[in-house]
Amino acid sequence: MIVAERKLFDDLYAKASKHKKVLLLGCGTCVTVCMAGGEKEVDILDSQLKLASRERGDDFEVTTHTIVRQCDDEFFDEETSRKIAAADAVITLACGVGVQFCSEKYPEKRVYAGVNTVFYGATVEQGLWEERCAGCGECIVDQFAGICPVARCAKSLMNGPCGGSSNGKCEVDKETDCAWALIVKRMKELGTLEELSEITLPKDWSTSRDGGPRRIVHESLRLDEGTKKEG
Amino acid sequence: MPVLTIDGQTVEVEKGKTLLDAAKELNIEIPTLCHHWAVPEAGACRICVVEIKAGGRPGLVPACSYPAEDGLVIETYSDRVVQSRRMTLALMINRAPRAGVIMELAEQYQLPSIPLKSPPHSTSDGHTPEDTAEPCDTDLCIMCGLCVRVCREVIGPEATCFSGRGIEREIATPYKQLSDVCIGCGACAFVCPTGAIDPAQFSPNPLASIPHEFNAQLGDRRPIHIPYAQAVPLVPVIDTENCIHFQTDGCGACSKICPANAIDYEIKDREQDLNVGAIVLTGGFDAFDAARKSEYGFGRYPNVLTAMQFERILSASGPTEGHLARPSDHKKPNRIAWIQCVGSRDAACGNTYCSSVCCMYATKEAIVAKEHEADVEATIFYIDLRAFGKGFESFYNRAKEEHSVRYVRSQVSSIKETPAGNNLILRYVAEGNSKGLVEEEFDMVVLSVGLEAQATTAEMAAIAGVNCNQFGFAESQPFLQPLSNREGVFLSGAVSGPKDIPETVMQSSAAAAKVGELLAPVRGTEVKVSEYPPERDVTGEEPRIGVFVCHCGINISSVVNVTEVSEYIRSLPNVVYTEHTIFTCSQDTQERMKEVIKEHNLNRVIVASCTPRTHEPLFQETMRQAGLNKCLFEMADIREQCSWVHKDNPVAATAKAKDLVRGSVGKSRLLEPIQFRKVGVTKAALVVGGGISGMTAALALGKQGFKVCLVEKTGELGGNLRTLKTSMEGYDWQEFLKETIEQVKAQPEIDIVLNSEIDEVTGFVGNFTTKLKGESTAEFKHGVILLATGADEYQPQAFEYGQSDRVVTQRELAAERIDDNYDGKTVVMIQCVGSRDKEHPYCSRVCCGTAVKNALDIKTRHPSANVYILYREIRTYEFKELYYRKARELGVKFIHFPDEAYPNVSGNGSGMLVTVRDTVLDRDIDLKADLVVLSAGIIPNTVSNRRLSEMMKAALNEDNFFMEAHVKLRPVDFANEGIFVCGLAHSPKYTEENVTQALAAAGRAAVILSKEALEVGGVVSHVDPDKCATCLTCVRECIYEAPFVNADGKAEIEEAKCQGCGNCAAACPAEAIQLRTFTDRQERALFMSMLREEVPAGVGPE
Amino acid sequence: MKNEPTIIAFCCHYCAFTAADLAGTMRKQYPTNIRIVRIPCTGKVSENMVLQAFVEGADGVMVAGCEIGSCHFIQGNVRAVKRVAHAKKLLEETGVNPDRLEFYHVAASQGPLFATTSAEFTERIKQLNAGGKASADTTSAETPQETVHDSSRT
Repeated sequence: MIVAERKLFDDLYAKASKHKKVLLLGCGTCVTVCMAGGEKEVDILDSQLKLASRERGDDFEVTTHTIVRQCDDEFFDEETSRKIAAADAVITLACGVGVQFCSEKYPEKRVYAGVNTVFYGATVEQGLWEERCAGCGECIVDQFAGICPVARCAKSLMNGPCGGSSNGKCEVDKETDCAWALIVKRMKELGTLEELSEITLPKDWSTSRDGGPRRIVHESLRLDEGTKKEG
Repeated sequence: MPVLTIDGQTVEVEKGKTLLDAAKELNIEIPTLCHHWAVPEAGACRICVVEIKAGGRPGLVPACSYPAEDGLVIETYSDRVVQSRRMTLALMINRAPRAGVIMELAEQYQLPSIPLKSPPHSTSDGHTPEDTAEPCDTDLCIMCGLCVRVCREVIGPEATCFSGRGIEREIATPYKQLSDVCIGCGACAFVCPTGAIDPAQFSPNPLASIPHEFNAQLGDRRPIHIPYAQAVPLVPVIDTENCIHFQTDGCGACSKICPANAIDYEIKDREQDLNVGAIVLTGGFDAFDAARKSEYGFGRYPNVLTAMQFERILSASGPTEGHLARPSDHKKPNRIAWIQCVGSRDAACGNTYCSSVCCMYATKEAIVAKEHEADVEATIFYIDLRAFGKGFESFYNRAKEEHSVRYVRSQVSSIKETPAGNNLILRYVAEGNSKGLVEEEFDMVVLSVGLEAQATTAEMAAIAGVNCNQFGFAESQPFLQPLSNREGVFLSGAVSGPKDIPETVMQSSAAAAKVGELLAPVRGTEVKVSEYPPERDVTGEEPRIGVFVCHCGINISSVVNVTEVSEYIRSLPNVVYTEHTIFTCSQDTQERMKEVIKEHNLNRVIVASCTPRTHEPLFQETMRQAGLNKCLFEMADIREQCSWVHKDNPVAATAKAKDLVRGSVGKSRLLEPIQFRKVGVTKAALVVGGGISGMTAALALGKQGFKVCLVEKTGELGGNLRTLKTSMEGYDWQEFLKETIEQVKAQPEIDIVLNSEIDEVTGFVGNFTTKLKGESTAEFKHGVILLATGADEYQPQAFEYGQSDRVVTQRELAAERIDDNYDGKTVVMIQCVGSRDKEHPYCSRVCCGTAVKNALDIKTRHPSANVYILYREIRTYEFKELYYRKARELGVKFIHFPDEAYPNVSGNGSGMLVTVRDTVLDRDIDLKADLVVLSAGIIPNTVSNRRLSEMMKAALNEDNFFMEAHVKLRPVDFANEGIFVCGLAHSPKYTEENVTQALAAAGRAAVILSKEALEVGGVVSHVDPDKCATCLTCVRECIYEAPFVNADGKAEIEEAKCQGCGNCAAACPAEAIQLRTFTDRQERALFMSMLREEVPAGVGPE
Repeated sequence: MKNEPTIIAFCCHYCAFTAADLAGTMRKQYPTNIRIVRIPCTGKVSENMVLQAFVEGADGVMVAGCEIGSCHFIQGNVRAVKRVAHAKKLLEETGVNPDRLEFYHVAASQGPLFATTSAEFTERIKQLNAGGKASADTTSAETPQETVHDSSRT
């Protein structure tokens, strides 16, 4: 899932207080799961803005709404559109995708990002999320016993650890496991350590970010012009 | 009814009320002195004067006695009134120069300091004859005569009067002599506004101080009293032996003044015949009377207390309200000593047994004392520190290491008080003999008194035909602690011997299981089911709220203006009916409530009275009888949370009461009916483990007619018990085991499955499904699970064990070597092998007793044998102490070695050499041994315990034994309902204790299995699937495993597992989970309505 | 600010609420500012519930539950301590003094403690309303070291 964390309150307050009426728009999918932008976080921010505006003597109105996903058109239903129309600005607590989608859909409205989208990751334990994927476009995880050197090695090294690996930890951050230490350990356990003696050739980065925004097209799934529903 | 105006406000009052009553209705405060609501008015002190401005003869009148007449216009604080009160006060100050209440009023009325015109009265001129009574301190008396009136008009004897003239006038008894007619009730002192009266000076038989029983004789109490603050029901009782009315036929004040007329002196003790199928004796124990150990000075030295007294001193509801203070000077004691074994392990007082609990309660008291006051130095003088129970050893270690409690292994020989300051000097022999006899000074001494048979046990046992042992405790049957010698009479708790709370609870549940076996055929035949009218469907109806505001006699109405609250509430939205009643909980009000519900077509009811903790069920019952769902009821507590805690502030209290009730109105509008669902119970049990615990539990359930699947992983029943021959008391375990196995095999309800284990468990309380693996792969449906998976003996890793056949464990000794010839041989036993060490920090509980038993076996058969037991502490608790004593008498030698210096064992030709450090001699000793016996501890089946723990979500403790829901109060339950634990899987213990715990688990399981269906629902969480993001937060948060992800991929709450704590609701990031009757909207409506001066529309009904 | 502050006290049914009852039974007097909201467990109190109480005009909020180790629901109070610590941080961000919120452990038998705690907390809020700086008193619960999502970790 996409993992995000809420922006600093003062940033959000500065944006909200520029307007008379602000809608906080939550998203019910990834950012709900990672506790950054679901209904609970929306309500907390709502309460916080109300308290802060009282403390600071500003006068603006805050309303709230949460939809299932902000990365699909249909979830911006009539009620959502009405609420957005009634507000001067929207702070969306969805990921960067949702912020853009919302902006595109309501081009006349000022849309602010309420969260910082940080990585693709997993819930390691409740309250702790970790990056596991870099979305590079060419998955090579299976060559490394299920541990991705692209996402989990600070230098995205492909042929063993760098000199900064010490006691299984990364030199960038003593709390972070060295991905290569994990890879070697796991491959040893699997009995496939031999495979590492093969040199991994430089990765094809053209599938990654260097080609600009990527798209995936499934022709068979696309609807013909005539059968498309109005969004 | 008269209508009058006070300070510009109009008020309507009942006829016969006074101006003071009318002012109270308006929350206008008027000072009073000679007024007491229970005593007829006299208007004597004139402090309550108010001014009639119009509607009557203008002038000053006393408010307390002047009738509230129609049309009066009154001012309570006019210049004239203030001037008059000042004058009155000035005179009173001259009369009673030391009366605090007068001084306060004088300050309030800004009285200029007035020079005294006459010298203060003196109560003693030095020439008073001996029988002269001086009941009244004339420096405090304001001559209001309230005491005279209460004696004459309420109590009756007229023991006191005014006497003398002019400045000689005073309150006195006739001829200033002790009064013959005074009944010593103390009412005069009670009502006196200035505290001038000493009732002991009235009567030759003054009201004696009655020691407060619940506070262990610290402080005193009245003859009519509430025994303690948490008493249920919370009502006063009359101690007829001390009550003046019962003793003299006088007084009767309580019945005269009780507004509920609840006091009836005619109620007599009744004898009743009950037909019962079984009797359980639960008499409990008496604490040892510390005065019997006169060397400790209890009763002579004020700062020597019993542990019970100290417990009360630490208690927030005790005599010092939890402030650590010693009796002599109410100062904080810095150095406190505990003396153990006072009345235990002591032949001098006849109690040779160990009381089992004192070591731990002293440890607990020391820690709590240090938590109260961090700089307290706590010292515990002990013989052996018996921390044998589950978790006790680590508690003891924490006391030493984290709380710096000092443990001194020595018996205190005497206590002397210091000549000044009431400190105490303890004389004792310091350990190691090096320091010899020392004296140490303490500020306070706590005697850890032992447990004795209750004085009434002998009589009760005689009536019940039950045998008692030499110490007066009821005697348990061999192997079966809850059984007495008489069939149908069972024992539970300390009636059969001193024991701690978990053992008491276990024995009680075990007794319940045994009663269940006996009475299973007639189960449910005496149950009467309440009938209710069909519930009215209120869906879609606009809320129609009825509010009943309670006076609670004068408990609420003396502070809170209930009329005002009631009228105010009527103005709130959706409130269609309000009334205020004297006692809302009375039977006739309940009847009226039902009528009012029908008449006004109410669909919500609020009672503003006392705490919902005690009274909610009563009102909910009335709701059901009136055909309304009980969850449409709400309570506002304006007594415990308002009138009782804001006595001095009626205005603010009334305002707060309005807020509280308004909050309830806000919430009530959103209440929804809640239906309870019935889920059938599969009347069968899964018992895991075929040792003595598993078999005992299976048998107890099978005998009650419940199907049992008994799963044993090996090919044989019997478990660890197969290696034990006899119990300490000499009973034959093998006989018992054989009999049990036969009974289990013969019991048609029990299905024995050998060579099999649990593969998978699904479901919840009442409805589990288990798949087996191994020899059987059957699937079995059942309502409960009992874990009796046992434990193992530790395999020693040192002491030449496994290297030499001259080194064995206690179990090997008992099973294989006990019948060898030990004549002239030397046997050395080493305790705490694999217990109380780094790897196994807990105490294995049974090793001391086992060593003593085996030593006795050898020594009695081979008196010429030399038997040594090398130990750190000997923990032979309860009656096992008697065998320890016997072993010492027979010449078994006990050598104490330090915790950190275990003995060394080495080969020595054909024998063994054991070197041990003796703490008494303070040097090493060499022992040449023919046999070394290691008292190996008990270790858990870590691997299988972890597997089962994960499968059943049954927690393990840090030592990998199963962890019960509550160590004291729920010793066989898990937090997860429907799963129980017993035997060694729970913690090390003796076989008879395992049997008791197994019966207890069966007893607890039968509570579920005996029901046709479980009621589920009510206050449980509920997921809105449209909002759920399936983030798993609830699944991870819930320790009861109630939330799960359903087939639709959404979280759902298994209502049968939900305990209603609401933790998942607070954690849910989508706010998809709501706890019924405590939803976010309902809670918010509650505090919003309290905080705003309105019931806000925003959270109205949808 | 008002002279007489209003304080919402979220009290768990099994401990603090019972202690409040006992304070009543023992006639322990405390200021009239306290308004008790009964909840089954302090684990039921979400961060937002606390913030909303402030939004609605509460001058102070106390969350009172069982002592550590005695929670009727085993660990609800442990969760609550963390959530309250998180809510304090959220409050601080808005400019509301976090001392206006506190978690207290009050056992069912500690009626007098409930009264004194209520009095002390009321006094603290009064001082804050008067513009004074209140320092967290010693009876307040220990606040754990906060990481961003600490409150949601079990």
